[in-house]
Amino acid sequence: MNEIPEQIVAKLKQEINEVDDVKLKMIDTEEGDVTVIYFSSLIEKMTLQTMVTIPLANNLKQIHQMAQYVDPKDVQGVVKKLNAGQTLLFFHETNALLSIDTYSAPTRAITDTETESTVIGPQDAFTESLETNISLVRRRIQSSMLKNENRIVGSEANIKISIMYMDNIVSHENLDDLRNRIDQVDYPLFTDISVLKQLIEDNPLSPFPQYYMTVRPDSICRYLLDGRIVVFMDNSQLAIVCPTSFFEMFVSIEDYYNRWTTASLLRMLRFFGFFLTIMITPMYISALTFHPEILPYELLLNLQESRSKVPFPPLIEVLFIELIIEVLREAGSRMPAKVGQTIGIVGGIVIGTAAVEAGLLSNILIVLVATSALLSFLPPIFLMSNTSRFIRYIFILSAGLFGLFGQMLAFAWLIHHLLSLKSLGTHYMTPAIPRKPSDLLDSVMRFPTKYIRSKTGISKAQKK
Amino acid sequence: MNKTKGKVLNRYHVIFLAQSIMIGTGILSLPQKLSPMGYTQSFMPLLFGVIASLTLFAMVWLCSKFPNDDLFRMNEILLGKWLGKFINLLVIIQFIVFSAGIISNYMHLIQSTALQEQTITMPVLCFLLLLIYIVSGGIKSIARFCVMTFFITIGLVYFTRWAIEKGDPSHFLPLFNFTPKEFYEALKQGYFSILGYELILFYFPYIIDQKKAFRHSLIGIWISIALCFITTAISVMYYSEWQLKNVEFSVLNLFKAGEFTFIERIDIIGITLWVFLILSSVTAYVWCAKRGVDTLLKKKKQQSYQLYIIACIIFIIIKMPFSREFQEKLFMASNYVGYVLVIWPVFLILIYVIRKKQVQI
Repeated sequence: MNEIPEQIVAKLKQEINEVDDVKLKMIDTEEGDVTVIYFSSLIEKMTLQTMVTIPLANNLKQIHQMAQYVDPKDVQGVVKKLNAGQTLLFFHETNALLSIDTYSAPTRAITDTETESTVIGPQDAFTESLETNISLVRRRIQSSMLKNENRIVGSEANIKISIMYMDNIVSHENLDDLRNRIDQVDYPLFTDISVLKQLIEDNPLSPFPQYYMTVRPDSICRYLLDGRIVVFMDNSQLAIVCPTSFFEMFVSIEDYYNRWTTASLLRMLRFFGFFLTIMITPMYISALTFHPEILPYELLLNLQESRSKVPFPPLIEVLFIELIIEVLREAGSRMPAKVGQTIGIVGGIVIGTAAVEAGLLSNILIVLVATSALLSFLPPIFLMSNTSRFIRYIFILSAGLFGLFGQMLAFAWLIHHLLSLKSLGTHYMTPAIPRKPSDLLDSVMRFPTKYIRSKTGISKAQKK
Repeated sequence: MNKTKGKVLNRYHVIFLAQSIMIGTGILSLPQKLSPMGYTQSFMPLLFGVIASLTLFAMVWLCSKFPNDDLFRMNEILLGKWLGKFINLLVIIQFIVFSAGIISNYMHLIQSTALQEQTITMPVLCFLLLLIYIVSGGIKSIARFCVMTFFITIGLVYFTRWAIEKGDPSHFLPLFNFTPKEFYEALKQGYFSILGYELILFYFPYIIDQKKAFRHSLIGIWISIALCFITTAISVMYYSEWQLKNVEFSVLNLFKAGEFTFIERIDIIGITLWVFLILSSVTAYVWCAKRGVDTLLKKKKQQSYQLYIIACIIFIIIKMPFSREFQEKLFMASNYVGYVLVIWPVFLILIYVIRKKQVQI
């Protein structure tokens, strides 16, 4: 093990000094001594045996067929290969350095999606392995036009990403734009693709997610065939789709599996639900603080009666209960699953009933807040439902300032902000102001499947 | 943007720019402004539409002779440098005062209906901030805002349903029951409700399909005219002649006729939603004023400090320590100057025809 005479290997050893999972093994073969160097943590023993050790002992021809020659002087390159899970073979007699791809790090199996489950449709979801994810897509689109470009990002961690697109459909202008953006990224560590996504977004300051993210391969395939570009990252379950429009954040792939009537109904519910969830509680504030005359006498009486014991002004009351809902949600998602059940009891009984009985909150407000909290979970994209909650606070505060007028000002701000946002250079609000009339067939209403044939305007797909 | 050399407005943008700029606070009080003609007023908007179409034709004809210049440049080319600059300064002042007038009217309306317990200072400030945010996006972002505005606010037409049910269609007759003097009075007071389409003089250089700009703007104008017509027609049906003369914001009272079991005063929702319409017209005027300042100072680079200065001036005009009467007079005067701007292209065309040979385009 210590008898490697050549200087180059000495250098290499220096490079991998104090890395304990690097193994160096001397094997005696027909062509003299061979040193085998590999990372034991990245390579399974079985793979090593079938691909390296057994052929070395019995069939050297096979080794020469499989292996690639490596320039031994390029020490950095050699180390990179080692880090990527390749096994290096150094032939002492001929001074040749060869590498064999033996990367076989343990991965988990393909399982059901937990975050984007549907009733109808395929249940498999991406895993954290890039190879598996690409295979999940490729088995659905069996075409040589499906290209994937691998790149390395992250100046320290060297993470592999893969850009996937249909070569005959995708807009090459978009593709170049995306490549440029990824090349310009200079960031040391990517623990998930959402980090990369935030760095290549058009407006990083906006509260809105500008690219679609999903773990569903069927959804990805649909977008690929529409001419979008998909980016995968090793060790990341999510894949991003760009460009994406605002409306697509409310589209679930299940809409295409359902009957068109049901699908349209559900889409309308999600889309208008977004605007309802940011409007309901601010309405309560405006109506009670500034415009009590907006409500009919009986309803106003009912409302006032329910909050007759409440000591706070409506703004404080609403902020109070909204914050409690946030706390409940956050606690529910952080605490261990076994304790999770208590949250339901604590939240439902203590905060719901007891707070009303104690005269801290009005029960009508509880109904409104619960409704808007539920509505905020309607968008299939979790980031969008987070956004809706953030936006709601802007509306609550502006309603507290100027009532309905403040709400409408905030609404005008929201509309303008959405209109000025872009996703990979294309306007984010595309189906609201359609680029193509055919976009309308697959927007808030989903028309029967046979009418949805053409590519959407946002993908700028190539014309045939 | 590079593909079309800075031309950014497609046909939908042109249609809805013309449409949304026209609808501002004017339409709210249109039936009252036309009240000298009594019940006969319902058809006045159609006549306005014809006048607007004719003047639009003159504007687009003039613009088509200078496809890459706006009115500010045209003034300088046709009237000479110094006279042109002077006229441009007047136009800029006109736009600023006119925008201030729109905002001030609207804010006082908001104060009297929705925000009775506050001064208008803070709402005006917030409004102006939003205004700066939109205008700094350029004419395209204004145009896109106009498109959305139309689709968001068009739903308000539905709330006039109850007024139609309660109204009396027999009010339309007789058709021609007015004197020339009444007609002139109504024309003078009512026409400024539909001002706004003349801004095509300024955004024309940005239109992609300039040959069809006239047709597209015309569609926009007639959508607005149709809305005005609906307003006056329903008002005529719903109100008595005395009410027409004395109810200032008749559209709001039309909304009040609504009957829901859960909402009593639809007019408050209507007037607050109106902020979209106000924003869409004021942003366009402020954008034009900013362009005017750019031309005046010969700034090639895009800078935004002029915008902040314009917003400050508007704020000062709205909050200036003069009586409301003086302000009303000022805003009224700027409305009449607006008429001059509508006629102005005809005057420029005359100069253009006379000086055709001398002017190098």
